[in-house]
Amino acid sequence: MKLVSSAEKAVIKKDFGEVWNTKMARTTLILVPAVLVVAIPALFLLMIYLVPTSQMNGVDKMMELLPPEIKYYTQRQAMYYFLTNYLCPMLFLMIPMMNSTVSAACSFVGEKERSTMETLLLTPLSVKQIFRAKVYGCLLISFLSSMISFVVFTIVVSAGDILLKMPFFFNWNWLVLVVLFAPALTIFGVIFMVLVSGRSKSYMESIQTSGYIVLPVVLLFIGQFTGLFQLDALLLFFISVGVLAADAVLLLIASHSFTPEKLLR
Amino acid sequence: MDAIYAEHLFKTYDNVNYALSDLSLSIPQGTVFGFLGPNGAGKTTTVKILTGLLRQTSGECTVYGYSPSQNPCDVHRVSGVMTESAKMYGQLTGMENLVFFAQTIGMEPDACAQRAGELLKQLDLWDARDKKLSEYSTGMAQRLSLARALIHRPPVLFLDEPTSGLDPESAQSVNEMISSLAAVAGTTVFLCTHQLRYAQDICSSYGIIDSGKLLACGDFQTLCDGAGCHIKAGFRLAEGEQLEGYEQKDGWWQTELLKEEEMPLLLQKIVEDRHNVYEARLIRPTLEEVYFQYLEHQEATT
Repeated sequence: MKLVSSAEKAVIKKDFGEVWNTKMARTTLILVPAVLVVAIPALFLLMIYLVPTSQMNGVDKMMELLPPEIKYYTQRQAMYYFLTNYLCPMLFLMIPMMNSTVSAACSFVGEKERSTMETLLLTPLSVKQIFRAKVYGCLLISFLSSMISFVVFTIVVSAGDILLKMPFFFNWNWLVLVVLFAPALTIFGVIFMVLVSGRSKSYMESIQTSGYIVLPVVLLFIGQFTGLFQLDALLLFFISVGVLAADAVLLLIASHSFTPEKLLR
Repeated sequence: MDAIYAEHLFKTYDNVNYALSDLSLSIPQGTVFGFLGPNGAGKTTTVKILTGLLRQTSGECTVYGYSPSQNPCDVHRVSGVMTESAKMYGQLTGMENLVFFAQTIGMEPDACAQRAGELLKQLDLWDARDKKLSEYSTGMAQRLSLARALIHRPPVLFLDEPTSGLDPESAQSVNEMISSLAAVAGTTVFLCTHQLRYAQDICSSYGIIDSGKLLACGDFQTLCDGAGCHIKAGFRLAEGEQLEGYEQKDGWWQTELLKEEEMPLLLQKIVEDRHNVYEARLIRPTLEEVYFQYLEHQEATT
């Protein structure tokens, strides 16, 4: 059995073009990853590499947060470890969240805003097929963008690892993050936007609501800095499973609320 | 089998006011049905229910035997819909838009391009095929929407104001196209329009709707009979002459006839009465007169 019909493929292809041709969506898809996985890590790397250690304040306190095996790291290495394992995961997760919400807003709310949803609903495609094609399209854009971002991020961070003579940054935390948590958040972002699309009147309005899903993730990672908890691979795994379970429930709700009457309201 | 059938359709959005109230229709295949009514009468709601975009509150309807609420995909497969609110993609060219909608129907890529090309030529859009829709004029976009509705050669067409925004020449060519579709391909056309003169030219039967209620339905003669609009005999006489029992309007002495066969005798009598007849003609009621007659009657009764 085919995963998607040729008609659904046409919708996915059209959505790809539409997202790419929307200036704000295109800018977000390019600029957000460029800043989060290239500019910020590179800037921090330069600072860590160039600033004399005597001028670094609070490094001792920060080192207390790090796992025991890091104790033998130099100050620069510890700083870089902190960057790649505490700050960068949060920055990296912004990408699937932002990209999924932006592409879904463009695909769902944008279509409604431009009055093309009605035309699409008048095709012989069922509402479920349209829903599926659009969700697949948004997921594909977000996954693709996240994957490319991660490859670029790996190159940037590896340069720092080489420069500071550190082991390769990729560990169990990153594995769970890339394979489970990021996809779970991508799905969450798309479904969240589908649910919002019924109420949002404009693309911009829907984009603003994406802040609601970014905030909890930021708080989760920033919470580590208080020293109250550490996000290890196991905890990240359970959180990811929890998000995936929420995705399944929300997907069910979203697919039921995706009706012509609600979409054309 | 009726191409379009509706029985006791009701639609309310708030359980208080009814956008449609007890609407029943039966439109045979090959009919060009003019659905007439003022703004907010319920025309678009009817089209949206018949095309599965809205669910009726109660009642039954079918398009080519398919229920729009149960089998909307089948309804869309046999029908082409063009409404003012259903837009196409601004960032795609005219050709790309048509090819995309042809693909959603499941047509093969080659067939999509070929059919799109045919329609673009037919609707005088071929030269603009590679222009983005956002660069099209209103009239061009309107014609492209019509092309989209026709892309899969549907046996039923729902057209909501297809000629609004078109110049007279384009409007005429679209009307000719609609007439020819019905005559040659046997397409059933459900046409919502305010342009009563065009409607009278191309429609074979009509429905007049106001405030969600169907006031009249049938061919032009049925509508005329129901509205009490009859054919009239009109005579233009020499200045100063009068005809007793006739009413004068715009320089013509007029009287109602039950049937047009009465005309020769009437003319003969007037000539025998030594009146100088400059012109004599039959004055047929227009759709416009009949339409306003129904609306005025509806207003008077509510």
